[in-house]
Amino acid sequence: MARVKLTDVTKQYDDVTAVDNMNLDLKDGEFICLVGPSGCGKSTTLETVAGLTKPTSGEILIGDREVTNLPPKDRGIAMVFQNIALFPHMDVYDNISFGLRLRDFPKEEMDERVDEAARVVRLQGMLDRMPSEMSGGQRQRVAIARAIVRDPDVFLMDEPLANLDAKLRVNMRTELQRLHKQLDTTIIYVTHNQAEAMTMSDRIAVLNKGELQQIAAPLTCYNQPANRFVAGFIGSPSMNFFDATAGDGSLDANGYSISFDTAAVDRLGADDPVEVGIRPEDIYLEHNSVEAEDPSRTFSVETDVLEPMGDEIFVYLKPILESFDEETADFEERQGLLMSVDPATDIGEGEHVEVVFDRARIHLFDDQTGDAISHGVVSDADVEAGDDGVQVD
Amino acid sequence: MAVEQGRPEVSSGSGGVLTRLGTWTENLSEQAYAYLLLTPAFVVLLLFAFWPLASAVRMSFFADVITGGNLGEFVAVQNYVQLLTNNNALAPAAFVDLSFQTPILEQALFMTVLFAVLSVTGETLLGFLYAMLMKAEYKGRRLVRLLIILPWAIPIVIQGMIFFLLFRPGYGLLTEPLQQIGLFSDLPLNTTFDSFVIVTVADIWKTSAFMALLILAGLESVNQDLYEVADVMGASRWQRFRYITFPLVFPVLMVAMLFRTMGALRVYGIIESTTVGCSTVPSMTCLVTQMMFGSSTLYGSAAAVSVLIAIVVGLFITVYLLFIKQSNQSLGLA
Amino acid sequence: MSIDARDHEDAEVFDGSGDDADDDGDNKSRVARWADDWIKHPEKAYAVMLVFLGGVLLTTSLFPLYWLFNVAMAAPGQTDIPLFPATVDLTAFVQVFQQVPFARFMFNSLFYAFTVTVFVLLVGSLAGYAFGRLEFRGKTPLLFSLLVLSFFPPATLFIPLFRAFNQQVPMLGLFTLPVELYGTPGAVVTPLSAFTMPLAIFILTTFYGQIPDGLEEAARVEGTTRIGALFRVIMPLSAPGVATAGILTFITVYTEFFFSYLMTGNSAAEWAPVVDGVLAFQTQYTVRYDLQAAASLIAIVPVAILVVVAQDKIISGLTQGALKE
Repeated sequence: MARVKLTDVTKQYDDVTAVDNMNLDLKDGEFICLVGPSGCGKSTTLETVAGLTKPTSGEILIGDREVTNLPPKDRGIAMVFQNIALFPHMDVYDNISFGLRLRDFPKEEMDERVDEAARVVRLQGMLDRMPSEMSGGQRQRVAIARAIVRDPDVFLMDEPLANLDAKLRVNMRTELQRLHKQLDTTIIYVTHNQAEAMTMSDRIAVLNKGELQQIAAPLTCYNQPANRFVAGFIGSPSMNFFDATAGDGSLDANGYSISFDTAAVDRLGADDPVEVGIRPEDIYLEHNSVEAEDPSRTFSVETDVLEPMGDEIFVYLKPILESFDEETADFEERQGLLMSVDPATDIGEGEHVEVVFDRARIHLFDDQTGDAISHGVVSDADVEAGDDGVQVD
Repeated sequence: MAVEQGRPEVSSGSGGVLTRLGTWTENLSEQAYAYLLLTPAFVVLLLFAFWPLASAVRMSFFADVITGGNLGEFVAVQNYVQLLTNNNALAPAAFVDLSFQTPILEQALFMTVLFAVLSVTGETLLGFLYAMLMKAEYKGRRLVRLLIILPWAIPIVIQGMIFFLLFRPGYGLLTEPLQQIGLFSDLPLNTTFDSFVIVTVADIWKTSAFMALLILAGLESVNQDLYEVADVMGASRWQRFRYITFPLVFPVLMVAMLFRTMGALRVYGIIESTTVGCSTVPSMTCLVTQMMFGSSTLYGSAAAVSVLIAIVVGLFITVYLLFIKQSNQSLGLA
Repeated sequence: MSIDARDHEDAEVFDGSGDDADDDGDNKSRVARWADDWIKHPEKAYAVMLVFLGGVLLTTSLFPLYWLFNVAMAAPGQTDIPLFPATVDLTAFVQVFQQVPFARFMFNSLFYAFTVTVFVLLVGSLAGYAFGRLEFRGKTPLLFSLLVLSFFPPATLFIPLFRAFNQQVPMLGLFTLPVELYGTPGAVVTPLSAFTMPLAIFILTTFYGQIPDGLEEAARVEGTTRIGALFRVIMPLSAPGVATAGILTFITVYTEFFFSYLMTGNSAAEWAPVVDGVLAFQTQYTVRYDLQAAASLIAIVPVAILVVVAQDKIISGLTQGALKE
């Protein structure tokens, strides 16, 4: 168990900056997920912590030790790899005990530790199997046992569940959480799957293009995304975005006009272009508008495609515009929205319906930088009153 | 096993020289580490291959001194000119005679190229058959594989012995029948044509196994699903071979032929040990050794022949590589 | 070109004769029954063809060895060796060891082969690792220089090396080799290592390059150094490739003719190779072909044993595609 601290870590390859000035400070025993699209630098960041890649500049601390230039073996870490990376020429016992053998552990202690690790990942009785004789899930558990058997200060996990099938992935997710509770070790977990990050971690670090976008608790990232990228990346289906102009107390977009509380959004001047974001579940049909914390005025829209998911229905909406000419208008101008409604809702395709937005859940982003301007466009007091999901860090 | 109980980490810096060396290499950049790893191999190669090679190339620009094994004065490319115009009076055989007054099989260049073409073709065909035999599944496959590989593992001198005895008049079983059908002369081992045939057969016999192993590698790496697809589409055996096996084995086949061609163009040992020797079948490498160890030492000319051999081999390799590249492109593998 | 075990029971017995058709008393001739059978089951015809072809090939491949055995059993000085020996007389195989220290000759060659193989695998592994798994400037030119080495006949290198070993001509113009080195195994092992190195490096590069990065990273995280990962994980996983490179090197050196013959004296005590042992029965006045044949057969034995032990490794070594985790 140890804290992990990255200070100004940069990794520069010939023509790309894989990691740009990364600063992370992980508490002892914390479960942190690094998420982002592929190529965002999350794996490279993990590799610098592992020592498999040397940062071009910056400093890495594990515990109180500076490890920036130490080889992986001297860092007190263990790692689980995406491709599992069991040694195919060794049986399960030899795989798990590999690190212990390198450190000349006495036989009895080694046996004890391997048994214990096998018990934790429920692999008892399989120690003499070869990796090729095991299923994907079993192999992944061997890899985890190999990591925990050395009792490392920090666990590094690089998309450990990515190669497993969907059902197994969900099972292993719970197992990993159980394991974290049991071992109470610092875990750095890399994934591109935002759902994994949301469900497992204490905090999420969202990365894009080598830069840290936000590091916060999962629900903070969800409810108060630091910028447009985080807002779009976290949450499934993704947040709706549209361009708007901030008029005098109202946001005007092509087809939508939303009044807002100028006191709540003080950074906006008149005619400032902004980007408006609203999650599908924060759009309501008019008859359900009571469920919204602070409903906006209603908009007339036409339903397009319906995607029934079982527990909810995704409804694609097109605005109905008075001045809209179906023949000539560019399709992009009809800014469509995705709404999620209760599965019991009686709704069909091509219907005209009235919807409201929850103004307390509308996010405004800077048109240029993408930075968040405001979460909710009504005064703060109102928002927090009803917003019990948000944990301000 | 006297160790600290439960020592959690490898203790760094406490160990001996090896540990410290290990830690030192850990901190090298990838580039520096690569050079470090290459150093031992390239030191050996530099001393015992690159340096002697460079010396030999240099030697080729100096005149021959017939006795004492020394070098004469600098003569630039004169040795090469003499060899290519068949003007080296002391040469044991012609390297090349473009007036063709010398029979083709007595010109080292053409004799060697002909040998290479014939033996590599024979080895490829035989190798393909062997490879199929080694791939098929049946009882006793282990034994068959051993028997196929065995000739390859026989020292050249011993192989030479076998063929020498087989064709030696009075001893050899094969001499008489071949003489009766008029193919061989009275003294096959002293006749250029007969010896050429014997050497070619001996080489095919010995090296087909090498070819077979590489082709087998190609066969084994063909995705078996493709055959099922072909079966579903109703392909005949020949069509399976023509449209699946052959195109997919082709790249490996090319590489195997490349290796063998390099070997065949430098043929020497099998000639010296099988027949009466270089005097009847003058391969290019034969010229080199005869010039070096013959009654008159022609170091400059010998070195020049070596360089010419390397050039010939280089030309063949270039053709192969271009051909491989082209066929890769047409197969969409590039 | 594959025939699968499940659809050709005929090939189960590899006896090359194919005369085991069941006699069920049918009126049809045996040939006609075969023909019917083969038309109905082309797989069978193919298998029979394969058996026949295999028999022919193996016979030609083995005949020279059989004939060598025949020569070994002939009387000294006998000519017109028959196809089948009249008597089985194995005395030549004993005489070989009595007339010359043939065991010592063999030991010398085996010693060369073994030493060179170990050295080449060790040094070649380091280079193969660098070529196969690391990126560095000058990689392609260096690999190409290895290929160019193979363009030259080994004889080319002999004169400079002979002078360096025997006449103390300074190597690289910088330093001379100790005069004691000539006539010792060192004068054979070092040049042969240099000659066999390029091919070994090519093979090892291919195999080491196929090992997934994850396995090496896992080993390093678990506690090895980079060098340690090479010897603990990458080499064991490339066992087929290492075996292939090793066997190729071993056989090349054991069967080598040029350097081991010329860089040493002629007697066994002077580290002469097995070639000298075989040629020792050929004096100025007499040639004992029977003893030479026997000696040749004995000299093949170690390599044959090696092939038996390692044939699966050789074959899987050459046939193993990308390693699957």
